[in-house]
Amino acid sequence: MAKHETPMLDQLESGPWPSFVSDLKQQAEVRAKNEANIEFQIPRDVVEDLLGVLELSYDHGRTHWKHGGIVGVFGYGGGVIGRYCDQPEQFPGVAHFHTMRVNQPGGKFYKAEYLKQLCDLWDFRGSGITNMHGSTGDIIFLGTTTPQLEEIFYEMTHKLNQDLGGSGSNLRTPADCVGQARCEFACYDTQDLCYDLTMEYQDELHRPAFPYKFKFKFDGCPNCCVASIARSDLSFIGTWRDDIKIDQEAVAAYIGGEIPPNAGAHSGRDWGPFDIQKEVIDNCPTECMWMEDGKLKIDNKECNRCMHCINVMPRALHIGDDRGVTILAGAKAPILDGAQMGSLIVPFMKAEPPYTEIKEKVIEPIWDWWMEEGKNRERLGELMKRQGLQKMLDVLGFEADPRMVQEPRHNPYIFWKEEEVPGGFKRDINEFRKYHQR
Amino acid sequence: MAFISSGYNPDKPMEDRITDIGPRKYDEFYPPVIAKNKGQWLYHEYLRPGVLVHVAKSGDEVYTVRCGGARLMSTTHIREICEIAEKHCDGYLRFTTRNNIEFMVDSKEKVEPLIKDLEGRKFDGGSFKFPIGGTGAGVSNIVHTQGWIHCHTPATDASGPVKAVMDELFTDFQSHRLPAHVRVSLACCLNMCGAVHCSDIAILGYHRKPPMIDHEYLDKMCEIPLAIAACPTAAIRPAKVELPNGKKVNSVAIKEERCMFCGNCYTMCPSLPLADTEGDGIVIMAGGKVSNRISPPKFSKVVVAFIPNEPPRWPKTVEVIKKMIEVYAADARKYERLGEWAERIGWERFFEKCELEFTHHLIDDFRDPAYYTWRQTTQFKF
Amino acid sequence: MEYEEAKKKITEALQKKLKTKSKFYFSDLAKILGEKPRVAKKLINQMVQEGVLEYWSSGSTSMYGMPGTGKQAHAEHED
Ligand code: HEM
Ligand code: HEM
Ligand code: SF4
Ligand code: SF4
Ligand code: SF4
Ligand code: SF4
Repeated sequence: MAKHETPMLDQLESGPWPSFVSDLKQQAEVRAKNEANIEFQIPRDVVEDLLGVLELSYDHGRTHWKHGGIVGVFGYGGGVIGRYCDQPEQFPGVAHFHTMRVNQPGGKFYKAEYLKQLCDLWDFRGSGITNMHGSTGDIIFLGTTTPQLEEIFYEMTHKLNQDLGGSGSNLRTPADCVGQARCEFACYDTQDLCYDLTMEYQDELHRPAFPYKFKFKFDGCPNCCVASIARSDLSFIGTWRDDIKIDQEAVAAYIGGEIPPNAGAHSGRDWGPFDIQKEVIDNCPTECMWMEDGKLKIDNKECNRCMHCINVMPRALHIGDDRGVTILAGAKAPILDGAQMGSLIVPFMKAEPPYTEIKEKVIEPIWDWWMEEGKNRERLGELMKRQGLQKMLDVLGFEADPRMVQEPRHNPYIFWKEEEVPGGFKRDINEFRKYHQR
Repeated sequence: MAFISSGYNPDKPMEDRITDIGPRKYDEFYPPVIAKNKGQWLYHEYLRPGVLVHVAKSGDEVYTVRCGGARLMSTTHIREICEIAEKHCDGYLRFTTRNNIEFMVDSKEKVEPLIKDLEGRKFDGGSFKFPIGGTGAGVSNIVHTQGWIHCHTPATDASGPVKAVMDELFTDFQSHRLPAHVRVSLACCLNMCGAVHCSDIAILGYHRKPPMIDHEYLDKMCEIPLAIAACPTAAIRPAKVELPNGKKVNSVAIKEERCMFCGNCYTMCPSLPLADTEGDGIVIMAGGKVSNRISPPKFSKVVVAFIPNEPPRWPKTVEVIKKMIEVYAADARKYERLGEWAERIGWERFFEKCELEFTHHLIDDFRDPAYYTWRQTTQFKF
Repeated sequence: MEYEEAKKKITEALQKKLKTKSKFYFSDLAKILGEKPRVAKKLINQMVQEGVLEYWSSGSTSMYGMPGTGKQAHAEHED
C-alpha cells in the first residue's frame, strides 16, 4: 500500500516511453522491502514522500521546493545544491533533499562494477534517485540530508577514487562527445583533452573565484553532438585544414545504390534512388563539389567543413589528416541580454598533449581578463559584448582575422588609438595656424 | 537508523582528506574493442533504428544498441542496466549526451539476443524500460532539466511533459522517416539549465506573474541588498511598507513591468515566491540547431507564447508539437532541419501550415537584438 | 600581502557591513584586499580552509560570508 495516493502521477505510467513514475514506485518498493538489508542513513520512505510531494505539485501546478545555500563539502564551493521541501510535516522524508553532482567519466563510458558501487553508496546514504545525467554532464545524486554530504564525499574519494563536479561561480564539470572512442568524424581526442583540462583546473572547478559560471565543452567535429557551440564559454570543435579524403570506389557504390546514404539514417521512407547531385553537391553550402568523369571532385580550399557530404557518405569521404580544433568563446543561455552562440576566436590550433598552447595562449589569459574585468554574474560572452571582440583579441595577443567575423562592421566609427595614427594626437596649433588663418 | 560513519571526523575535516582527484579516467571504462580501435574508426551505419555498427580499419566492428531512458533514474533501474551490460556486453555501457543508454557488443551474433532481452523488459505500469531507437532521421530522447521533482523556480514540470511528449512521438523515436533528425529539449524555467535555445523544438517553462512579496517576513528572512542585486533587470528596490496592523517594516517593491519572471530573487530570498497555478505554463520554441551542417547553428524562435500547464499529460503542448512534426515531415526536403525548412518557406508560411496563431507576443521587443528580427524588406509571402 | 593582514582586513570589512548583508561576491573580497584576483584567491582559499569564511551558493552563483552570519544561517545549518 503506497504511503500517498498519486492519482495524477499514476496516469504517467501508461504509454510506451519509460515511465519515471513506475521507476520511482519500484524504487519505493525495493526500499520498503530492503532485501539487501541496508542500514539506510536517510528515511527509508524517502521515495514515497518524493512521489507524494510531486503529486501535490501536479495538483497545485506549483513547485514545493525551496532553495538553500548549502554548497558542498568542506573547502569546496560547489558540487552540492541545497534543497528543502516547503511541506516538511507532510513529507518528512524529503524535508532536506540536497543534490550532489558527481563528475562523470569521459564519453560517459562505464563499467557495471563501478556503477554498482555508486549505487551501493547512494542507496546507503541517499535516496537512490539519480539523474543519468544532468544537463552539464554530471551524474546527479538527487536527495540526501546535510550530515550525509561529508560522509558521501569521504567514501567517494577514499573508496571510489571519485570526486564531485562543479556548481556555482566556478569551472563547471567539462563534458565531451564520444569522439575518437567510437566516431570516425572526431578530429581530436575529446576525452583526453576534457580529462586533461578537468585535472589541470581542479582548483578552478572546486573553489569559486570567477564572476560567474564557466563551461568547457568538447565536440570532435562540427556536427557538435554535445552542443558546445551553444552552451559553453569555451567551445572546442574538431576540424582539419587539409583535404577531405575521397574513396572513389565507395562514391560509385553510393551512386549505384549499394550503400545507403547517410549511413541509413533515412531508411524509414522511400526518398527515391540516391541522387548525388541533388543530395550532396547541390546541398554543399560552398558549392565546392562537382562530378567529373564519374569521379567526385572537391575544391578543398573552398570547403568550410560543414560535414554534410561526409555525413551523407561516411564510407566514401573521410576527414583530413592535418587536424586540430577551432575555438569559439562566449556561448550562453538567454539570461540576460538574450542567448549567445559562441564566437570564433581561434580558427585553428593543434590539440595534442600536453595542450600547452590551449592552456597558456587561450584559457588562462581569458580567465585573467574575465576575473579582472568581469562584473558579478557576467558571463564571458557578456563581457565580450561589453568590451568588444577586439579587446579580447588584444588580451590574447591574436591578430584580427576575417575568419572571426560573419562580415565586417556596418559603421565607420573606428576608435583609432593614438599610437595607430602617424604623429599621434598631440599637434602644434601654432604650426597649423601658419597655414590656416583664424 | 543508526548513523554509520564513513571514517570522516567532523572535528577534523582536513584529516586524511582527499580532494581534487577529478573523475575516473575515461579509459578505465572503455570496452576492449573501443580501447583497441580508438581513433581508427572508418565508418558507421544504422542497421535499423537504434542499432549502429562502427567499423574500424583493423576490420573490428562494434555494434551499439541505443535505448531511450528517463534521465530521472533509480538505483534499481541502474542495477538492471548493469545486469544487462554484464549479461551481454562484458559489463560495459555508456550514456549519450541526450540521456540515451548504449549497449555495445563486438560481434553481430550478440546483437539479436541483446535486442530481444531489451525489448522484453517492461515496467509494472506497462511502459518499456529500454525502447530501442533515437538514431538517424527521427526524434531522439528529450534533454531536460529538473522541474517539480527538485527545483525551486520551475514554471512547469520536466519529467511529466517529457513522458507525455515522448509517448506521442514514440514511433518517431523508433523510425527514420523524418527529413532530418529532430532534437527536442525542455527547460522548466528561463534559466534554461538545459540550454534549450538551439533545439528544433523546445519546451520552456515560463512564469507570467512577478513574485509575491511576503512583507511581514521579508526583512526577517532575507537580506534586502542581496535580493535587489539578484534581479537581472533591476526591478527590485528597497521600500518601507506599512503592514495591515499598522507596523512599519523594511521590505522591497517590485517594478512589475520590468520583471522578466526569472525567479532569481526567490533564490536569494524565500519571501519572494513566484509560482502560480494560472500564471505558469509553457512556451514553445522551434527552429534551432547546433550542428554546422549545411547551414550555421541557429537559435530557436518562440512560436507559441503560452500554453497553460495541464498535468498530468499536457495535452495541448503535446498536440502542438505533434502537429509541427507532422507538417515538417510532410513538407520539408530530405536533409532539411526544421529551422532550415521554416526559413525556406518563410515564417509566415510556417505559422499558416502549422495552424499556429501569430500574436503580438511573438514580436521581439527585448533590447537590441529585437530589431534584427523585424522584416526589413518587401519580400514576403501572402 | 601577508595572510594575517588579509584575514584582518576581510573580517573587519565584513563585520562592518554585517548590518545590511552577510554574503559577498569574490570580486568584493578582492577589492577589500586590493589584490589581483589570482592573488586574492589564494588568500581567500586559505580563509575558507581555516573556517574564517564559508561559501554560499545560489546553484549558479557563489558568494562568501562569515560562518553563522546571515538571516538564513539558522535554516541552512539545520541546527
Ligand atoms: C541564470 C542562469 C541559471 C541559474 C540561476 C541556474 C540555477 C540552477 C539551479 C538553482 C539549479 C538546481 C536545480 C536542482 O537540482 O534543484 C540548477 C541546476 C542545473 N543547472 Fe542551472 N542555472 C542557470 C543556467 C544554467 C545553464 C545555462 C545551464 C547549462 C547549459 C545550467 C546547467 C544546470 C545543470 C546541469 C543543473 C543540474 C540539474 C539538471 O541537470 O537539470 N544551468 N541550475
Ligand atoms: C546534421 C547534424 C548532425 C549529424 C550529422 C550528427 C551525426 C551524429 C552521428 C554520426 C552520431 C554518432 C556518433 C557515434 O555515437 O558514433 C551522433 C551522435 C549524437 N548526436 Fe549528433 N549529429 C548531428 C547533430 C546533432 C545535434 C544537433 C545534437 C544535439 C543537440 C546531436 C546530439 C547527438 C548525440 C547526443 C549523440 C550521441 C553522442 C554521444 O554518443 O555522446 N547531434 N550524431
Ligand atoms: S561531435 Fe562529431 S566527432 Fe563528436 S560524436 Fe558527434 S559526429 Fe562524432
Ligand atoms: S564538408 Fe560541406 S562545405 Fe565541405 S565539401 Fe562537404 S558539403 Fe561542401
Ligand atoms: S531550468 Fe530553471 S527551474 Fe529548471 S532546473 Fe534549471 S533553474 Fe531549475
Ligand atoms: S523574478 Fe527575476 S526579474 Fe522578476 S523581480 Fe525577481 S529577479 Fe527580478
